[in-house]
Amino acid sequence: MIIFKNIQKIYPPDVDALKDVNLHIKPKEFVSIVGRSGTGKTTMMKIMTAEERPTKGQIIIGGWDITNIRPRDIPILRRQIGVVFQDFKLLGKKTVFENIQFALEVCGVDATRSREVIPQVLKIVGLTGKEDRYPIQLSGGEQQRVAIARSLVHRPKILIADEPTGNLDSINSREIVDLLLKINEFGTTVVLVSHNREVINSISKRVVALDNGTIISDQKVGKYIL
Amino acid sequence: MVLSSFLRIFKFAWQSFWRNIWLSIATITIIVLAFISINSLIIIKLVTDTAINVIKDKVDISLYFRPDVTESQVQEVQSYLTSLTQVKDITYVSQADALENFKRLHRQDSVIISSLDELDSNPIGATLQVQAKNIEDYPAIMEVLNNSKYSGLIIDKNFDDHQLYITKIKNFSDNFNKIGLITSLIFLFVAALIVFNTIRVAIYTHRSEIAIMKLVGASNWFIRSPFLMEAIFYGIIACLISIAAVYPILNFIQPYVSNFFLTEQYSITNQFNQYFWEIFGLELVAIILLNIISSLIAIRRYLKV
Repeated sequence: MIIFKNIQKIYPPDVDALKDVNLHIKPKEFVSIVGRSGTGKTTMMKIMTAEERPTKGQIIIGGWDITNIRPRDIPILRRQIGVVFQDFKLLGKKTVFENIQFALEVCGVDATRSREVIPQVLKIVGLTGKEDRYPIQLSGGEQQRVAIARSLVHRPKILIADEPTGNLDSINSREIVDLLLKINEFGTTVVLVSHNREVINSISKRVVALDNGTIISDQKVGKYIL
Repeated sequence: MVLSSFLRIFKFAWQSFWRNIWLSIATITIIVLAFISINSLIIIKLVTDTAINVIKDKVDISLYFRPDVTESQVQEVQSYLTSLTQVKDITYVSQADALENFKRLHRQDSVIISSLDELDSNPIGATLQVQAKNIEDYPAIMEVLNNSKYSGLIIDKNFDDHQLYITKIKNFSDNFNKIGLITSLIFLFVAALIVFNTIRVAIYTHRSEIAIMKLVGASNWFIRSPFLMEAIFYGIIACLISIAAVYPILNFIQPYVSNFFLTEQYSITNQFNQYFWEIFGLELVAIILLNIISSLIAIRRYLKV
């Protein structure tokens, strides 16, 4: 499903963000990528969403070699991957419904279809009845649920969550992790990027640890070892 | 789906236009100034072209024959000149008609009239008024005539004053066009810069939205199109304002133009209307293209997510 082959990423002039990274994530897997700040976790995520290109190596997503993806194909890739960010990246002037609809509009889905799909996604993330609220009227956990709903709305096969609990307290963090696990149970491959020890240790799934741009451990049912 | 995409683009562009209304007004003002400058040039060009044509039509060479030259001799000269390819028309004014014309012209001057009455014979010769096909042909006709055997029959010719008049108008028109063209180009350049800046500000205020659009898989054209639509709004609104502005200008200058042509029949508005679609159509297409290019350049860096 996701294959990193000898991936190296150097940021000019000479910052080695990733050094010879090899990783194979199978379909429907739940993988946590852990490591301290600046170890290359976010670079891995950016390479998966084609925000960055590797300096060397090969990256394959769902059988598609995106190492040298053409700019015009990037939107097609991103519509197949759901991405959740630490800072939610919601539009403050749009309601919950509009924030999710926005992601459908981008793919050319009309309003009628949006009205059918969005309530289903809101039900999954537990926000039914809050579709007319603005982000500022929601708690941090709820905002992150909206972001997850937005990333799920085009039914992606892969969901990448970059520090999704970074701005949340422990209760909300737990809820978000439970939600990600639930999404994984539905068959979506989940890649969770985090440096939250408590969260990772509670998941009991595969853990890949990064240090200084290199994979230093890959455990099937792992713990946060750093 | 096409309709809903168009509505989305239109709605977004309209919102952006109103949210930055002062910037929009400044942008439109500059484009309107560019249009007014170009339209003024066109008006001046139309008036001077008409003036030159009117004068060209009025220009002829009057050949004044000696009083002792007979009618048959004058007719011989007339048929000789008619055979020239440059000649368009020749009007023959007989001695009697020439005398009548002279008397009419000087009817207020009793001394001249009484002097003429005292004379036994007609002191005024016949006249041939020669019109050339092109104003440039007159010198050639004059030269042919001067070198012919008929040159001795003619006592006077008039032509030089018209040539001077036409040259002056042409020079004025050419110089004005040069200055006007430079001014218009400067205005157009400034207009393009202002549109560029306006779209940049619009994009800057939407930068987080654009970044999110990119991350959820929006194509570049999905993001660009509302900004391009906004640039098209500027062109269309500016064009409509300049159409509204040009008619009061035409009405204002109409009396001066009528005075110049000594006729009420010539209407600068009618003449301008003949070229309405060419003028405003071209201006609209040009400004829209210019705005689109400016916007494409302005948005480029924000699409690199």
